[in-house]
Amino acid sequence: MLMSDEAKTIARGLQKRDPDLLDRLIEQYQYRLFRYLLYITGNKERAEDFFQETWIRVLERGHQYDGKSKFEAWLFAIARHLVIDWQRSKKPQSLDTLTDPEQEHPLQLANENDPSPLHQVLSQENEESVQASLQRIPAIYREVLVLRFHEELQIDEMAGVLSVPLSTVKSRLYRGLEALRGALQGGAA
Amino acid sequence: MNLETHARAQQLIAQERVEGISQADRDWLGAHLQDCAPCADLARQTDQALRFMRTAAIPLPSGLASRTQFRVRLRAQELREREPKRRALWLACALSWAFGIASAPYVWRLFAWFGERAGVPKLVWEVGFGLWWTIPALFVVAVLLMEKVRQGDEPAWMRQDN
Repeated sequence: MLMSDEAKTIARGLQKRDPDLLDRLIEQYQYRLFRYLLYITGNKERAEDFFQETWIRVLERGHQYDGKSKFEAWLFAIARHLVIDWQRSKKPQSLDTLTDPEQEHPLQLANENDPSPLHQVLSQENEESVQASLQRIPAIYREVLVLRFHEELQIDEMAGVLSVPLSTVKSRLYRGLEALRGALQGGAA
Repeated sequence: MNLETHARAQQLIAQERVEGISQADRDWLGAHLQDCAPCADLARQTDQALRFMRTAAIPLPSGLASRTQFRVRLRAQELREREPKRRALWLACALSWAFGIASAPYVWRLFAWFGERAGVPKLVWEVGFGLWWTIPALFVVAVLLMEKVRQGDEPAWMRQDN
């Protein structure tokens, strides 16, 4: 089935709040959505909460998905905005924020001596260098890296998810790539 | 090789992975990487970093999907139960409006008759009639506004009608 056909089928099902379709979508996208949420929140429990809230929101607002874009892009946009809304209601200094560090806050690098929740999750199964690298990268860059290199979204699709111009997406990707490389080198050193 | 050449190579290494580069740039970069060990190292480190990131497995919490499916079904049930109330509200609005329009001539005459009997100035009973007739409309407007406010809580990105 073509991507657009699949998207249209999903859009029709969401219009009708088809429970079987939702069950299937939850199964199908569980890993990708959880991974994305874990990358942007850096916390397993929080990622789980947002995972559930995202699907509730998909149920409630499903009629707004028109099937013209990839479903996952819309899904990630919902998840992202739930996280941002939650972040806004909290004290910014306590968060690994998704705000643009160049525009709003200085870079917020995690304390390398404290194992972050993301580190704890990843450490269960992965190499030390990867854990150390990812936890050092600010959430805003982890986010674009996961969207581009895990989800393989196009840059324009990412711009839709992030609600930012293409140039901002590219700039974050370049900085994210640099941060990833730098963090990996730092981890290896 | 000068610094500009290395800077261009480093920029192309990142660009190739982020947004792609032209064939001419790829050829140039390939030739440069064959002769320049530091830039070749950088390209290798970049690929390695991405490979590590891609292969970082994340264990999925057990039962997450089934717990979510359960919650979603419960919420769907709540929404289904709420739906008849919304329909009833809209039906009431529509009926109210239709009745207002249909009965307007009779009510006008009634207001005129009552105004005459009570000795009320014409302007007063005309305003009274106007208010009586616009109440259903105002009620509908109020409902629409409430609906709009509710939808206004959603961010614009979620509405795909732009």
